[in-house]
Amino acid sequence: MVNDDGGIPAIDRGVPECGPIVFRREIGLALGRKRGMDMYRGRIERDLSLWVSKGLLSAPAAEAMLAEYDGRESSFSVGRVLLTLAAILLSAAVLLLVAANWEALPRIARVVGIVTLIWTFYLSAALCLGRGLNGLGAALLVMGTLTFGGAIALVGQMYHLSGDAVDAMLVWFAAACVATIVFRSGALTVVSGFLSWAVFGVLVRENGISLEGNGIIYLLPLLCIAVIALVRYTGTSRARHLAYLLMLAWLGWVYLEITEPWLAGIYFAVGFVCFLASSLPSSPLFRFAREAGASPAFYAFLLAIIGLVALHIEMDGLGPDIAISAVTLAVSLAGIGIAGRMNGAVRYLGYAVFAGETLYLASETLGSILGTSGFFLISGVVVAAIAWIVIRLEKRLSGKPATGGI
Amino acid sequence: MLITTRKPLVRPLFAAILVAVLQTAFLGYMIESRASILRNGTDVLLKTVPIDPRDLLRGDYVILAYDISSIPADKVTGGYPTEATDARMSVRLEKQPDGFWIVSEAAFADLAPKTGTIVANTQPFYYYPTPDAPNAAIGVDYGIERYYVPEGEGLVLEEARNASALSVTARVDEEGRMQIRLIAVDGKPLYEEPLY
Repeated sequence: MVNDDGGIPAIDRGVPECGPIVFRREIGLALGRKRGMDMYRGRIERDLSLWVSKGLLSAPAAEAMLAEYDGRESSFSVGRVLLTLAAILLSAAVLLLVAANWEALPRIARVVGIVTLIWTFYLSAALCLGRGLNGLGAALLVMGTLTFGGAIALVGQMYHLSGDAVDAMLVWFAAACVATIVFRSGALTVVSGFLSWAVFGVLVRENGISLEGNGIIYLLPLLCIAVIALVRYTGTSRARHLAYLLMLAWLGWVYLEITEPWLAGIYFAVGFVCFLASSLPSSPLFRFAREAGASPAFYAFLLAIIGLVALHIEMDGLGPDIAISAVTLAVSLAGIGIAGRMNGAVRYLGYAVFAGETLYLASETLGSILGTSGFFLISGVVVAAIAWIVIRLEKRLSGKPATGGI
Repeated sequence: MLITTRKPLVRPLFAAILVAVLQTAFLGYMIESRASILRNGTDVLLKTVPIDPRDLLRGDYVILAYDISSIPADKVTGGYPTEATDARMSVRLEKQPDGFWIVSEAAFADLAPKTGTIVANTQPFYYYPTPDAPNAAIGVDYGIERYYVPEGEGLVLEEARNASALSVTARVDEEGRMQIRLIAVDGKPLYEEPLY
């Protein structure tokens, strides 16, 4: 993210040594090092120092604000992330140990061993959670759930069960969901999100690209809905992206199956309608979507853009080409205009689409050199006119003070 | 971003026991569903056939194919489905004088039991009808196509399989489900499967 100071820390810009710098050095840097550099934290710290230096905010207040942010449950913590990564590595090590040792130990002993591991992980997690050791508890929950997946694979191998990989993945996903619900665990929500991706991966690999047979892949949106429900229930907003991206990946897969202009058109229409529904304050869904932050509007907008890109590829002929290009430019401007102020992700996507479409238009040739030249002239004038509109729009967006209600 | 600490649904200890019991039960179900076939089933001796491409050793399992994995069209009774559909075949196996069991009859509907024969069910598969040129043979699976071996031992089995020297004794239960009980090379048992 580029901000006004171009990402250069204020300390390098020759701000005279005075109170605010002392504040930044003592509090800001100290906390920053301790907590790790999360992007939002870095930005808020820089802004707070700026406001302190301009006298808008007192140093103790800024200090208190940062301390409040750092005290939040799910603010970034290097320690907690490392703990979870360690949990994943340990789970992998345990599973490989059990798998590799398979002649030395009788089969039933291996089964008892892995079941004991599952119980140990969940019970220790419960103990930790009961004593308020939430980070360690979450790591143990992740280990227990990953071990269960390994146990399914191990039992399948040891007993030569030629069972279906999809069934095994679905059972694993369901188990992760159940554990997420009963523990109300954010870490397990993320695990469930990744497992929903694994289910999709196995389905695509098993089916190849075939419409017939194995209808389960058409139920994949249900998995996305399940993950989003878990996200809302546990309040793990970052895991939301896993579900939205899976939905888009699945739609992309469906499009590979049915590569038809009408489907691309539906993607565009549905994406744009959803974008409007989640971005226009008058929409009945606005408040519901707003609870999920920038994601619903952004991913809906992205779907509309994907539909337009597919239409660009599908449509031939000058007339349709020009129509789609015009719609694309209009949509990118609409995205910036409607959601650009509150939603940085939509704004940058809008800019990127606008730039991409302009380059595409500029590279279109019309057969003869004269025709191409004429096209460049027209597109130059049109693009200049649109650029002027965008600059006006931009000025309005940044010049206007933030409105009260969102 | 609004951050709240959410109250858990149940006490952690209860949650832990619930989750662990459910997961243990599922693993137990996996193991027992196989053991019950081995415990109550009837033995059938099956001939394996070479597989093309030959190098099918993936990780640590050998892919097995049997002569009963291919159902010739003249053994199919009761007709074929007319539309593309999820199907499962019922296959009657009969013992030959050499001890191996072969397909004597197969149908898309259930076959009635008959003395001296065993009815096995295939795994579900997707059937596409080909009206103008009926399939010469239908390839089916029985759930005994995979055998996991200790690291590095797969090649021996692969070579034996490709030399048609590998035989498999499977058990079939009353519902027609199969599990591998014994693998032999040139008639000498190589892997014998315990129940658990």
